[in-house]
Amino acid sequence: MSTIMEASGQEFLRGTLKTIVLNLLAEPTPTGPRRMYGYEITQAVHDRTRGDITLSFGALYPVLHKLEQDGLLLTDTVEVEGRLRKYYSLTPQGNQAAIQKTSDFERFVRSVRSLLQSPGELLPG
Amino acid sequence: MEKLNDGQVATLRRHLLKTGTSDALIDELIDHLACEVEHYVWIGLPFDKALETVTDQATHTAVRHLRERYQVELTMSDEQLQKASLDDIVFQFRNKAYGAYDLRQSYRLTMRNAIIMGISFCLMLVAILDGLNRKEWSYVSLTGLAWILGVAGMTYAGVSWYLARVREQQYSV
Repeated sequence: MSTIMEASGQEFLRGTLKTIVLNLLAEPTPTGPRRMYGYEITQAVHDRTRGDITLSFGALYPVLHKLEQDGLLLTDTVEVEGRLRKYYSLTPQGNQAAIQKTSDFERFVRSVRSLLQSPGELLPG
Repeated sequence: MEKLNDGQVATLRRHLLKTGTSDALIDELIDHLACEVEHYVWIGLPFDKALETVTDQATHTAVRHLRERYQVELTMSDEQLQKASLDDIVFQFRNKAYGAYDLRQSYRLTMRNAIIMGISFCLMLVAILDGLNRKEWSYVSLTGLAWILGVAGMTYAGVSWYLARVREQQYSV
């Protein structure tokens, strides 16, 4: 990824990070609601976008803690190999927020796309 | 996958403390960086090299940036601000466990008890000196009243101080 792309990528990311995190956690797993820890989230984002989007810890943790403060995430701290690992999962309220934010964001993307199209491509009416 | 040992995790902790990571984040960041180091070790880097790569990334600038973002994201809402005391605001992103927060919280009570004790002590002293001077003692006199007030004040302040201490210990357990 070029530096310019990275710079604007970070800029776009800032506004969508909450949506991304909520969405990842909203995906169901066979064993019940999904729970992930910080590094796992960055890896999931990295793998799914094939490295196009890289979350830095500096961006991720403030958002996770904010969502927790707002009552959208539950945390569960477990000791793993001598270090503390904090798992995050959605509260019922968080589930609602995930659905809401995703649909809002999709609408936003559609609107931006229509703004980016040249006027000639627009359908009349 | 190769796991970090306690010593290696301690190295990471030292690095993070040196860069000024806040209490609220340190454990999570240690786990995060340890996972990254393990990832690099797994793809074939020797531990030292992996650690260097990861710590290069978690520099002072990165951690400061994190702290600043954290404070912007997690600052109190208007509603919380209205309920918060000056101490709460000052200590919002500072270490409350260190002791200064408790000292400031209990300052009013300590001050009040100290003043009551001081006045009571003076009253008792005056009463004793006056009693010695006259070589007689009566509770039904100005001197007697001063003595009773002094003892009462001392007891009140003493009990109040003791109860506050008991409460403090209960919280700290």
